[in-house]
Amino acid sequence: MKILESFGRILYERHVIAEKWKAQHRPVIGWNSTYTPEEIILAADALPIRILGSLRPTTLADACLPRNACSFVRSTLDMALRGDYAYLDGLVTSNSCDNFNKTYDLWKSYAKIPYFHFINTPHTNTSVAHSFFCREIRRLKESLEDAFRTTIPSKAINRAIQRCNENRVLLKKVYDLRRKSTPAINGVEALEIVLSSMLTSKEQHSTLLRQLLKEIENRPNPPKPGIRLLITGSVMDATDLISITEAVGGIVVADDLCTGTRYFWNLVSASKDPIDAISKRYLDKIPSPSRYHHRNGRFAHIENMIRRYDVEAVINFLLKFCDTHMFDAPLLTEELRSQGIPVLNLEWEHTRSGIAPLKTRIEAFIETIKGVP
Amino acid sequence: MTRLQTLQDFYQKHVQPYYRDAHKSQEEHKPIAWVASTFPIEILQAMDITPIWPENYASICAARQISVQLAEIAENQGYSRDLCSYARTVIGAILKEDTQHLPEGGLPKPDFLVASTAACDTHLKWFQILSHHLKRPLFLLDSPYNTMGADADHLEAGLIEQYVLQLLGLIKFLEEQTETTLDRSKLRESLALSDNTSNLWLEIQGYRKNSPSPMGARDAFSAIFFMLSIPATKVAVNFYQALRDEVRNLVGKGLGKIENERYRLIWDNLPMWFNLRFFNYLNSLGAVTVAETFSHVWTGSLDPSEPLESLAKKYLPNFANCSLDRRVNLILQLAEDYQANAIILPTNWGCRMMSIGETVVKEAIFKKLGIPSLILDVDSSDWRNYDEYQVKTKLETYLKTLK
Ligand code: SF4
Ligand code: SF4
Repeated sequence: MKILESFGRILYERHVIAEKWKAQHRPVIGWNSTYTPEEIILAADALPIRILGSLRPTTLADACLPRNACSFVRSTLDMALRGDYAYLDGLVTSNSCDNFNKTYDLWKSYAKIPYFHFINTPHTNTSVAHSFFCREIRRLKESLEDAFRTTIPSKAINRAIQRCNENRVLLKKVYDLRRKSTPAINGVEALEIVLSSMLTSKEQHSTLLRQLLKEIENRPNPPKPGIRLLITGSVMDATDLISITEAVGGIVVADDLCTGTRYFWNLVSASKDPIDAISKRYLDKIPSPSRYHHRNGRFAHIENMIRRYDVEAVINFLLKFCDTHMFDAPLLTEELRSQGIPVLNLEWEHTRSGIAPLKTRIEAFIETIKGVP
Repeated sequence: MTRLQTLQDFYQKHVQPYYRDAHKSQEEHKPIAWVASTFPIEILQAMDITPIWPENYASICAARQISVQLAEIAENQGYSRDLCSYARTVIGAILKEDTQHLPEGGLPKPDFLVASTAACDTHLKWFQILSHHLKRPLFLLDSPYNTMGADADHLEAGLIEQYVLQLLGLIKFLEEQTETTLDRSKLRESLALSDNTSNLWLEIQGYRKNSPSPMGARDAFSAIFFMLSIPATKVAVNFYQALRDEVRNLVGKGLGKIENERYRLIWDNLPMWFNLRFFNYLNSLGAVTVAETFSHVWTGSLDPSEPLESLAKKYLPNFANCSLDRRVNLILQLAEDYQANAIILPTNWGCRMMSIGETVVKEAIFKKLGIPSLILDVDSSDWRNYDEYQVKTKLETYLKTLK
C-alpha cells in the first residue's frame, strides 16, 4: 500500500526532510530522551527530530568511547562525528540514562552543533519533582527564545499541545488496528509509523495517519498471522529485529518501547497552565526503567498491553550495556512467567552483525509456543 | 617501604567491629539502613540509624576473593555480566542461601533502604531490586544533575533548593520509619563531626604533596572507610587525628612510602579491590600514588548553622553527579598541587560513569599540562574483566614513555 510506504520513506529520508525544513530558515533541533517536551520546541517554530542511530560500523566513535558503552549511543555519536547531523541547529538532551548522560559530554566536545541544552529530568513524579520540572520546562523555553531570538507565547504552546495530542490519539487508533485477530498492520510497519512521527511535522504526519486509517480497511495484502508478541527493552530505531521476528512466525502486536508506546501513549491534559500540564504529561507518563514511580509502573503498563492486545509472548530486546533495562529484566521475566506469559530475553548490539545471530533463537522460541516439537 | 602504624590490621581493628556492632544493632532492633554512596549519611547518623554500605561490602567480598562467586549467583538469576560488579556481588550475597561463609556473617538486614540518583542509574535499579527481595521500603533521594559541574560556591540556587526539598522528604521518611523526630541539635552535631572528619582527611591528603609522599593508594583506599561509612562519629575523628599525626611525623622526618619517587601518580576512580597488591607492584616500579580522585570527591565542608543547604553543597558537586568538566578540573588541580607526573584513568566494566568520557579527560589533561594519561580497562570487583598481563604491560610501557 502506498500510504504505508510513506512512513518508511520519512524514516529513510529523514536527513533530507530535515535539510528541507532548514532551507525554509526554520531551525532543526535534535532530541534523544522521551522526557524532552517536544511541545516547547514546536512552539518555537522549530522542527524537533529524534536522534536515531544507524547499523553501520562505528569506527569514529570507537576511538573515543570505551568498549563498555551502549552501542546505540555509540552509533549516534559516530553519526555526529561523521557529520550526518551537521544540519542540526541544536541538541536538547536530558539525563535519561548514564550512557546518554555521559556521552553528552562527548557531543559537546566533538560534535559541531551551535546550540546545546540539557533538561534536568527528575527521576520521580512527586509534587516536588513536578515543580522542579515545570521550572526546567520554562528554562528550556527561555533558552530557546534566547538562542533563536524569538518569543514563545502561551498560545503557541497550546497549539503545539493540540498538535501533539492529535498525533498521539491517531497513533493510538493505528495501534488499535493490531488488536484484531488478524492485525491490519505488522510490527515493522508500526515501528516505521511511530518513528516517522518523530521526524517530520506533526501536521503532515497526522494527515498521513488519517489517510491510513481511511484506507487500511481495504488493504489488499494484510500481514501474515502468527504468534502475537509484545516487544520491550532498549531503544529500537531500526526495523531489522522485528523484521526477522516476523519472518519466523511471529507478529508484533504491541510494545513497551521508547520508540513506541512510551513515546506517544499519554496525552497532555487540558489545563490553564500549559507548562504545568506538560510537566504532568511527561513525568507521569509510562515510565522508562530509569525513573522511579510507584514501584513498577513499567511492569503494569506491559501487563496492560498484554491484555489489551491479546499478547501470547514477550520478547525483551536488551542492548548490551543498557543498565536500566538489564536490571529490570529478571524481575520482569519472573512476573510475566508467573502469569503464564513466555518471555525471551535477548542481548543484542546495535549493528547489523549484532542482529543476525538472533534469528535462530527467536525462531526456536516461537516454535515452542506453537507447540512444534 | 614505610608502613603506616595506624593502618596496621585496619580491617580487623576497624571494619570487622563495625559489622559486628551492626549485627548486634539488628538483634537489638535498632534501626539499620542500607545506603548507597553519594548519600547524605550525616542525617542518618543524626538519627542514630546505623548505615550499612553495600558498596563497601562488595569491596570486602572482592578483597576476600569471593565477589565473583556471588556475582555468579546473580547472573544465574538473569542479571547480565555487564552490570556493575558491586551490584551483582551484593544481589548474589542476599540471594545466597547460607550466609555463614560470607564475610562478617553477611550483611546485617536493613529496616529500610535509601539511595540517591547522584551517582548512577545502578543505585536506583540495584536498590529497587534489593528492596524487592528484602521486602523493605526504599527512599530515593531525587538529586538533580549538576549539569554545569559547578563547585559548592557556584551551584545554581534552583539545584540547592531542589536538593533541600528532597532532604525534607528524606527526613519525613526516616521519621516515619523510626517513629522518632529528628533532633535539630543532633543534626548540627552530626554535621560538625562530619566536617571535622572531612577536614582531617584533607589535611592528611595535604601531606602527600610532600616528596617523598608518606602515604600511597593502598593506605588511602583502606583508611577512607570512615569518611564514607561513618563520617559523623568521634571514632572517625579520633582515627584520622592519629593518622594525621603519624603522617605529619613521617613528613617531618623526610620519610615516604618509597624512597626514590620516579613517578608520582594520580589514580582516578576505584581500585581493583580484589588486587590491592597492585599498588605494591606500582611501588616496586618506583611509582607512588600521591592522590586518588576518590579521596577527594567525598570531602566537602559542612556548616552546622545551615545544615540542609550545606549538605546540598557537599553532595551536588560530587563528580559522579556532574558533567565531565568537574572531573577534568579536579584532576588538573590535583596534578598541580601534588606535583604528579603520571595519571592513570582506570575504567570500570560495569560502570558507565567511570568509563565513558575518559578520552575527553585524557585529552584535556594533555592539552593543559602536557602529561599523557593512561586509560586502563579494569573492574572494581570482577576479576574476570581484568587481564593482569595486559594491564601490567601497558603500564610499564606507559611509565617508560614518561620523562
Ligand atoms: S539503549 Fe539503554 S543505555 Fe542506550 S541510550 Fe537507550 S536507555 Fe540508554
Ligand atoms: S561502580 Fe559505578 S555503577 Fe557501580 S555503584 Fe559505583 S558509580 Fe554506580
